[in-house]
Amino acid sequence: MKRKGSPLTEENRMETSDSSRCEEQESAEKSKRSKQKDQTPATGDGVVRPLKLSKGELYKAPTVEELSQLKEAESLFHCSLLKMQMDELLKEVALSERRKKLVDSFVQKITALLQSVPDSPVVELTDLSWLEHSGIAVPFILLPEATKGKFHMEPPVSVDLIGSYPLGTCIKPRVSVDLAVTIPPSILHPMDGINQRYSRKKALYLAGLAQHLSSSSSVGTLRYSCLHGNRLHPLLIVTPSGKESSSTTLRIHALPPPDYLQPSRFKPQRNNVRTAWFTGQDSQQEVSEPPTPHYNSAVLADLLPCSHLHFLSAHSVQCPAYGDAVALLKVWLRQRELDQGAGCFGGFLAAMLLAYLLSTHKVGKTMNAYQFLRNALHFLATTDLTESGITLANNPDSKAPSLPEFHSAFQVVFVDPSGHLNMCADMTACTYKQIQYEASLSLKFWDDPTVEGFQTLLMTPKPMIRAYDNVYQLSGLVKMQASCKKLSLLGNLMDHSGNYVLAVLPFILSLLQKGLGDRVHLLTHSLPPDPEWPVRSRPPKHKDQPPLAIGLLLNLERALSVLERGPPADSPEAADFRQLWGSRSELRRFQDGAITEAVLWPGSSVCQRRRVPLEVITHLLELHAGIPKSCVRFVGEQVADLIRVGKDASGTGEEESLKVVQSFDDLSRKLWQLEGLPLSITSVQGAHPALRYTQVFPPVPVKLIYSFFNREKSCRALVPKENKPCPYYITPIKVICHMEGSGKWPNDSLAIRHIKAAFHVRLGELLKAQHNYTSRPSPAHLDVWKDGLVFRIEVAYHREPQVLRESVTPEGMLIRRDNPEAQRVELETQHKPFLTSTLHGLQQQHPGFGAVCRLAKRWLAAQLFGGDVGEEATELLVASLFLQPAPFSPPSSPQVGLLRFLYLLATFDWKNSPLVVNLNSKLTAAEHTEIKNRFMSSRESLPVMFIATPNDETASVWTKEGPSVQMLQRIVTVAAKSLHVLETQFMDPSQKQDIRVVFRPPLDIYDVLIHLRPKQVPLMGQSVDPKFTKLPRGAREEEAVSSGGAFPVVDFDPVKLYLSELKDAFGDVALFFYDPHGGTVIAVLWKPKTFHPQPFKTSLMNARQVNVTDAATTVPNVEAIVRDFHVMGEGLVNKVELKTETWAV
Amino acid sequence: MAASTKSHASRARVIPGGFTVLSLKFQLSSVAHHQLCVKEHRVRAEKNVHRPLDRTLFVLNIPPYCAQSTVKELFSQFGPVESVELSEKPGSINPENANANLAQFFTPAEKRCFKVGYVVFKNTSSISAALVHPYESHLIVSTQERPVPTGMQKWIHDYTQSFVKPDILQKAVDDFMNQYDKRKEEEAQRLKKEAEQQQEDEEGWIKVTKGGRGAKTCPHTEAANERALQKENKKKKRKELLNFYSWQHRNTQREHIAELRKKFEDDKQRIALLRSQRKFRPY
Repeated sequence: MKRKGSPLTEENRMETSDSSRCEEQESAEKSKRSKQKDQTPATGDGVVRPLKLSKGELYKAPTVEELSQLKEAESLFHCSLLKMQMDELLKEVALSERRKKLVDSFVQKITALLQSVPDSPVVELTDLSWLEHSGIAVPFILLPEATKGKFHMEPPVSVDLIGSYPLGTCIKPRVSVDLAVTIPPSILHPMDGINQRYSRKKALYLAGLAQHLSSSSSVGTLRYSCLHGNRLHPLLIVTPSGKESSSTTLRIHALPPPDYLQPSRFKPQRNNVRTAWFTGQDSQQEVSEPPTPHYNSAVLADLLPCSHLHFLSAHSVQCPAYGDAVALLKVWLRQRELDQGAGCFGGFLAAMLLAYLLSTHKVGKTMNAYQFLRNALHFLATTDLTESGITLANNPDSKAPSLPEFHSAFQVVFVDPSGHLNMCADMTACTYKQIQYEASLSLKFWDDPTVEGFQTLLMTPKPMIRAYDNVYQLSGLVKMQASCKKLSLLGNLMDHSGNYVLAVLPFILSLLQKGLGDRVHLLTHSLPPDPEWPVRSRPPKHKDQPPLAIGLLLNLERALSVLERGPPADSPEAADFRQLWGSRSELRRFQDGAITEAVLWPGSSVCQRRRVPLEVITHLLELHAGIPKSCVRFVGEQVADLIRVGKDASGTGEEESLKVVQSFDDLSRKLWQLEGLPLSITSVQGAHPALRYTQVFPPVPVKLIYSFFNREKSCRALVPKENKPCPYYITPIKVICHMEGSGKWPNDSLAIRHIKAAFHVRLGELLKAQHNYTSRPSPAHLDVWKDGLVFRIEVAYHREPQVLRESVTPEGMLIRRDNPEAQRVELETQHKPFLTSTLHGLQQQHPGFGAVCRLAKRWLAAQLFGGDVGEEATELLVASLFLQPAPFSPPSSPQVGLLRFLYLLATFDWKNSPLVVNLNSKLTAAEHTEIKNRFMSSRESLPVMFIATPNDETASVWTKEGPSVQMLQRIVTVAAKSLHVLETQFMDPSQKQDIRVVFRPPLDIYDVLIHLRPKQVPLMGQSVDPKFTKLPRGAREEEAVSSGGAFPVVDFDPVKLYLSELKDAFGDVALFFYDPHGGTVIAVLWKPKTFHPQPFKTSLMNARQVNVTDAATTVPNVEAIVRDFHVMGEGLVNKVELKTETWAV
Repeated sequence: MAASTKSHASRARVIPGGFTVLSLKFQLSSVAHHQLCVKEHRVRAEKNVHRPLDRTLFVLNIPPYCAQSTVKELFSQFGPVESVELSEKPGSINPENANANLAQFFTPAEKRCFKVGYVVFKNTSSISAALVHPYESHLIVSTQERPVPTGMQKWIHDYTQSFVKPDILQKAVDDFMNQYDKRKEEEAQRLKKEAEQQQEDEEGWIKVTKGGRGAKTCPHTEAANERALQKENKKKKRKELLNFYSWQHRNTQREHIAELRKKFEDDKQRIALLRSQRKFRPY
């Protein structure tokens, strides 16, 4: 009997079986291996070990240089680590010299090509026949078609590098080099600024260049795009041919000669697109033309790139850290997805902002990049550019518009050095608010010494789906065309040259902001991405872009409220309110006597109330913008399906948990008031997940059907019948009841156990006599049947662990030695109740905690990891998402919580860092560092997954048992995969929407599958893919009336019993995996090295067979073991499937 | 393996180490079988009176579904069995089990794993009968006459058995506590007597005994020892002067720089590690 192929270690096997591992990880490992050779040996296995410096090294006399260096690291940065991290990051994103050379040579080649564009005859602007033979399309939506003007091709006046590359602030990974091609004046006409004539000529000119370049061999691909999603700024994107194609992209901008167009013609209040031309109708009457600020600024922006470059490079020369600072700010923006798309805060704005800070002396020239970044964030956080814009123009000429003029035309104002152009013209107020929010959040985290600022703020991506509590997608953007009409936005439509999405967006946002009000902390939207298309196809239509996403950060105190209370009926604001809400608004009388306008949304359970923001959004969009309900998609809402409970699965368990907690409170009060106990009760604490809102399926009150059971006469209890399906599983809810300390407690652990049993008997009698509760005492606990639930009361004595630890040596000395038994008792009677009450508190603080926790547990259990990562450990992991959310804010919805949980699992570096969960914020910063230091110095002896809490700083009690290194590795892989699948499904509505995919474990990696009979699996109803047939299980989920009667069958789960028997018997040859929430398969994995023959030993013969060759050796008796799987699970096991692809008998 | 068994057809299979291999099936119809290794129990100094050397058979690899009674039945085909003792590991009984007068529901649950057994026969001859038992003739655990319940049947049975009537439980507790109190009292008596011995007798003599440290002195504990040591250290520290001599000042400065250096080196190492893991790629 042997493994097929070479003896693989478990880890390897798991990796190979999961062939689709993230490529990144692989490459990371490869590089690790290759770098190990030239690194210090201490970093060999990826674990940092404390470094030993020799005495001489440590105490030698310092040089002045060294002193100043040390001092700088300590005072300017928080510590030397941050400085080094920044340096490394900058090194990583900077362009290498080799790449720069490649870029330079390519630029030269293209420049030469561009200079040799042949002349072409003059044609009408609308005549595109000269392009037809090459098949090149014009990168412009030519609507309306008719335009006046002439056009011909001619070589450019000049070709210059502009943008980030010549400035030295260009960063990886999207290296795009901007090349400005100046259109010869002979092509242009001074009046071309009107009616898109200039923009069309520009597009045609680019098409002409494309036609010329397409014939060249040194050009790889040619594509069109547009700058920041603005269709008035078409770009030609060129990549080199051959191997270097991915190294560079060259973006060719066509610009007019400087001073060709007069800036004063493009003031925000001027009109440059005529209504008559745009609509194609000759309007007789002379109406005042609407201003076209966005169109104006788009044209104006083309005049200025070269002067901007001069301006920026002047600053960059003066200040050494300027380039690095821009790079850092760009990284920060990119991680927040703010640097691309229409209305973004791109690299150019970042550079301008830092120049502004320099010119206004908000930062000094000698500061370093980190200080620049901090100051920039501080400036963004504290300055509201939507209210008080800033300008870079020192002494603008008299023709330049004033700041108020800019404010009246644009939402965000940041004026360029010339004083004519608002560089934030396309930015919406919401985007700026988002930047402000992000900046202030980042500053907060940076000032928090317990958060690793660098890692969380610069290295962690914040994609929309993971950053915002609720994300709604607006698909069917073509509907917005209708909204334009409905909102009568012709002027805006002209201004945005027909881009109805951008024209409508600000109005929709302000509408939603008004409607959602204080339900949200922040309302943001995704930036429409820059389209890119091949030169031979027509430009994509406006409706073809991916759906627009709206993100909300919820204010949970208000967000789920079903009532929108408006102003009193007779006040003047009532009309506004009615106008906003339409027919939903109705007059209501409240308990305080007020009669006000109000909107009432449907929703009785928390699950339904989570849909209230969706209702608000769909209602407002339908009413005011004519966007039908079907276009709005609530992303990720489906995850709630996995934790549905209750009648008809209408809720997601919040109400049920609450009911359990209320019943417990009642029981605890009754226990306190019991009379006739020899010692008084000092505390009654819950120790069950249901009592901290984290039970995946909280217990539901049931009513028994007595005929289903046999009876145990002597104890008046029900027992299961053999021929019936396994009865309904009733979860015992554990309650720890501490008794008062007294001298009468014995000083011997066995005697304490007997006394506790006596207490259980006595408590049972008293509860029967005083409250008529049926109960069942046993030595270890007392089960009480109450309100259709079963509580398992365990009496505890606070000194028991201490007694267990004490022993007397023969010399008569009393010594304390830790032992597993004492630890177990301590865990059960002290740690668990404490955790329960703490997490109960956390749930009150963050109402989303319970649901996220339950989803997380569900995922782990469904992926068969439930046995490795314990319930409490999972709860702590989830708690850390709420207590240390950096760089996010605490999750307020189940879906975002699940995504962040998976992200945490997939990315946390368990090898080198402890996860500190600061429950109740008890740990100070100093204690934090101490935990970290202690962790570093004794890494090897600590659990693989180390979680520290205020009550447990050193031991990580909840992860002592597992997971093992191999299992953790596997969990990380599966989490990363699941996260990827979920996020792509969420963001891409065209994919098959089945989130249960990530809750179905891959079974092909296991060696043996034991299929169970669904009839005997009591929790069948909870399974990920519920079956429709419901078996009778002797109980109905409904409110129980009385608490008396026969005692029900409690805690009887054959699968649990079977698993524990299997683990007892075969725990040393195999691992067993099972989904406790209705799984019907037990997966078995032979332990690695199980099949290596071992020499015969009396202590190593269990379940093995002897083989005599030279000496007696033994190997596991697999045939008999598999037979035993059947025997031990008689009646429960359906069939045992051997997956012999990976092993053989 | 199959070949080797065939060559020993209908003979006992003896392996190096002196064990005879018996095969055990759960049912007659089962195909797979476990191998029990049996040998005469022989140790140099057996103190346990329950395992008489000449009549005890040592059995390895008894499956978890074989209870004491089942094993007794199985081995009675070799001769009348006096007693059977099962344990997790070979060796003498651990002292905890000595507390045999515990009520059944206070004994800790047994691990249901493969076990070793000590089967004591009434006659010495049974041992040799077992040792020459042919490998091909299987021992059957569960037969028509005495079925061994497993799976659902067993679990329902166990659940039914787990009920304890409160009065029986109460009685068990009372019995134990009475015994416990009695023991405590005896202990107290003993201590009192020892204390009395320390008293002066009428002639003014004190009898000094080995164990008699006296009941009145505080209990000798580890914690107390430590506390005393700490107190001493504290006292010592208080006497010291810091920052008094110039060399002390110089030393603290030196320490500060050394600390900074050490931290710097540590950080450098951490960075090197992170760099090697490509941790600085922001995206």
